[in-house]
Amino acid sequence: MSKPQPHFTLDAIGKCCPMPIVETNKAMRMLAAGQVLEIIATDVGTRSDIPSWCERTGNTLLGIEEDGTEIRFYVRKEH
Amino acid sequence: MKSLAIVVRDDAYDKILTPLAFAYLAAAEGTQVDMLFVNWAVRALTEKGAAELKIDGRHADEDAYVREQVARAGLPAGIHDILVALKETGCVSLYGCSLAGAIFDVNETNLIPQAEGIVGASWFLHEKAAKADLCQYF
Repeated sequence: MSKPQPHFTLDAIGKCCPMPIVETNKAMRMLAAGQVLEIIATDVGTRSDIPSWCERTGNTLLGIEEDGTEIRFYVRKEH
Repeated sequence: MKSLAIVVRDDAYDKILTPLAFAYLAAAEGTQVDMLFVNWAVRALTEKGAAELKIDGRHADEDAYVREQVARAGLPAGIHDILVALKETGCVSLYGCSLAGAIFDVNETNLIPQAEGIVGASWFLHEKAAKADLCQYF
């Protein structure tokens, strides 16, 4: 599967809970439905928080990539 | 979750971070958060009181380290700054307990403008805590 092409990247490197979720909410408000947000995080808590957030808010988690300490999430805004 | 009520009692800098972080998480998703500051924690609703919050007890000598780590984590380092950020979400209401206000000298004259006001605990428990989807005590 090809890598999703993000329309916006949220750099949450070094930030810890609650900031990745707080900033993800803010970033998603700037996107239109169908657009993709890339979130780059290093907080291991995001591994559970971001998928759970997607399920709760009705947005689609297209993929997760891990490279060293960086975790990349690709989220498509659904509404 | 549509509503969250939080009662904050402990005013140590490190211990007050958790309820503030939980409130920030919930508010970021549009959950209405009502926070009642009781006992010593009511002083966090004044600029002077918020600035004076320290880590106490056996971790007191790690105050500077914890503040540095909080800043690195992306949160505003000062408690007052966090309260301002919470208010800016538009989903957080901050209340001071009237009994705590009387004991710890917090009133309408020194309350930060981000706070809704001083309220009776009975009102908060019945109108906010009992009606919230979740109520937490710290």
